[in-house]
Amino acid sequence: MHEDVIGAPAPPLPPAAGDAQHWWPAPSPPPAPLVEHRFSFHGDAREYFRIWIVNLALGILTLGIYSAWAKVRTQRYFHGNTRLAGVPFEFLAKPWPILKGRLIAVTLFVAYVLASQFSLAWQFALIGVVLLATPWLLVRGLAFRARYSAWRGLVFRFIPDYGEAYIRYLLLLIPTVLTLGMLYPWVQGQQKRFIVEHHRYGGHGFRFLVSSGRFYIPYLIAWGVMTALIFVFFFAVAALAAASALSGKGNGTPPVWIMMTIVGGFYAGYFVIFVFLQAALLNLVYNHVDIGGRRLRSTLKGHRLLAIYALNTLAVLASAGLLIPWAKIRLARYRAESLSLLAADDLEGLVAERAGEIDATAAEVDGLFDIDIGL
Amino acid sequence: MNAFSAHYFDGITSRMHAVTVSRDGAGSVRVSGDGIERLAPAADLRLSPRLGRTPRTIAFTDGARLLVSDHPLLDDWFPSEDRLLRLVDRLERHAHAVAASIALCVAALVAAVVWGIPWAADRIAGQVPLAVEAKLGEGVLGQLDKYFGFEPSTLAAEREAELRSRFARVVAAAAMADTHRLEFRSAEEIGANALALPGGTIVVTDQLVDVLSDDRAFDAIVAHELGHQRHRHALRQTLRSSFVIVLAAFFAGDVSAASSVVVGVPTFLLQSHYSRGFEEESDRHAFDTLEAMGESPAWFAEAMRGLNEAHEDYGEEVKYLSTHPSSTARIEAAEAAGAAFLERHPEKFRDVPGYDACEEEGICEDDEYEDEEEDCDDCAEAEVDCADDGVDAEPGDCPIET
Repeated sequence: MHEDVIGAPAPPLPPAAGDAQHWWPAPSPPPAPLVEHRFSFHGDAREYFRIWIVNLALGILTLGIYSAWAKVRTQRYFHGNTRLAGVPFEFLAKPWPILKGRLIAVTLFVAYVLASQFSLAWQFALIGVVLLATPWLLVRGLAFRARYSAWRGLVFRFIPDYGEAYIRYLLLLIPTVLTLGMLYPWVQGQQKRFIVEHHRYGGHGFRFLVSSGRFYIPYLIAWGVMTALIFVFFFAVAALAAASALSGKGNGTPPVWIMMTIVGGFYAGYFVIFVFLQAALLNLVYNHVDIGGRRLRSTLKGHRLLAIYALNTLAVLASAGLLIPWAKIRLARYRAESLSLLAADDLEGLVAERAGEIDATAAEVDGLFDIDIGL
Repeated sequence: MNAFSAHYFDGITSRMHAVTVSRDGAGSVRVSGDGIERLAPAADLRLSPRLGRTPRTIAFTDGARLLVSDHPLLDDWFPSEDRLLRLVDRLERHAHAVAASIALCVAALVAAVVWGIPWAADRIAGQVPLAVEAKLGEGVLGQLDKYFGFEPSTLAAEREAELRSRFARVVAAAAMADTHRLEFRSAEEIGANALALPGGTIVVTDQLVDVLSDDRAFDAIVAHELGHQRHRHALRQTLRSSFVIVLAAFFAGDVSAASSVVVGVPTFLLQSHYSRGFEEESDRHAFDTLEAMGESPAWFAEAMRGLNEAHEDYGEEVKYLSTHPSSTARIEAAEAAGAAFLERHPEKFRDVPGYDACEEEGICEDDEYEDEEEDCDDCAEAEVDCADDGVDAEPGDCPIET
């Protein structure tokens, strides 16, 4: 045997047992201490820029056909550079289903644009079709992504349940509208529960350990701050109008730049609220996911996320889009670094899903409707 | 070299085995170490395509896989059938290919914005029946009445009838179908303005009628709005905007939750870029129509000046709501067209904005009878009144000349 080993000691992979990560569950159960298995992201903006721009150019040259291949490459790049406990994820999908999904999406979009020009009835009919198909497409998309995502050689699963999907993504819209959105946080909770609890990995169904009512806390805070912001906005406008009317300059119209500043400030405030709400919701969801006794932990900070989003937006606008890869890498890195998995074991004892655990019909339909829709 | 270290997963459990992979002369691959001992023909193994420096996997037919750091020799061991992805990988690593890609993408973006989107949107607009567009326009007028403080016009009936007959003449001079409707509205909020709605309706505000110094300026304004109608600008603008949004969303992808800003800003900039082109096209239409009526295009400049003054008096906010950009350039273009018109029709020297018969020819209000003989027999009085910007003339005094 030659010791001619490539790639040095396969860098960040834990080469052998060593620290506390390799702790085996004891046969008689004193409660096991939890170990934090970290997520990390190893992508590099320069490297990804080359991949992104070349694939984008190929997509343009082939009038969009290649974009499905480009998507696979992008997904493989982000999966392959995201690691949990040092082991990378894998994205295994082939481009064809993605191409199929994109062709359907483009057809629907063109039909919609044409219908919107020809007749209102046709337009509403198409909106109806898309609305009716949305839960189905959502389930197919989730199943697709799960089935082609793998870690340590085991793929994820999403067990399709169309009835539930239609209830939570379509039927619950009605009471949400009737209550003027007051039910929305709860519906959000129900939808997240649906997504989490239908996922499986390593012989465990995911569980969602939080009631949908808890989603009211971040939303009520966001709504409260938003209301305050609107009050401040109107107060500022009214005060300025009064001031300018009193100063005798005439028609009560403040100078343009002041109006612009106020409107800009309002949008900035909205943006800040939106980002903080997003951070709170992501934490709420991730922190209550249970995978066979193992728990995710997400520590996203609103102000960090805000700084990333703000700089990303400015950079993308100022570079006419050329800094999009850099922006995506920054975001992916922060999101991965904020996530970890708390487990009492070394994650070596997970087992593949047995075929019998999965609805056979669903598996068959899978082949026929293997599509992935989503931008 | 003929061995490397890797991590082996059997595809049944998540257990990771640190193994050594080696190859014998007969093309078989041996995986050994950490309790694993496996032999498989190299031809049965599938190596994942190379992608940056991401780790690669070698898949066995039964779902087991090897995880290994990238190394150029891997591709010698497990040659891939996929020529496309090998080519893509080479391009991604090639500085010239990357530079060419940047150039191509930027060029494609510019071309899409400058030619692609207008071309596609106009193609589609051409397919839309006028009847459908008219339906759209009805809805728009209803909404303007409801939400933009449009009130019924307060113009005197005879004044309105007079303007309507002028409008009919402009439509005829532009050789357009008489399906175009003219609506008057009193609109304090938007002030002096005229709008071309999809489907052929033109809305003129009372405030605009008030600020126009001469009815020929009114002709110029409606000729401009008819230009919007002839070229179906409302519909084309709508279509172009939707294409811009799609394009921006395509490029921005899922960069951030802020993508609404990333999409919104370029969309706004491009929309004003397109609308500037439309305004110029309609201005030219107005010049041609005026010329066909025997009126000077300079009346358009006069109308623009009137609008500008009105909006300066009215308040600043109207300015930044306005969709009509850079009026100085447009006034200059109208003046130039007016000058060219005068060269072709020197006899029309009296029928231009700002012409003062008293100063130029000594034909003044007070002594109009003295000069009557010099000018012409019985038309001088009317001409004097009308040439004098119509300010002193009673509405209706001026016969429709030329």
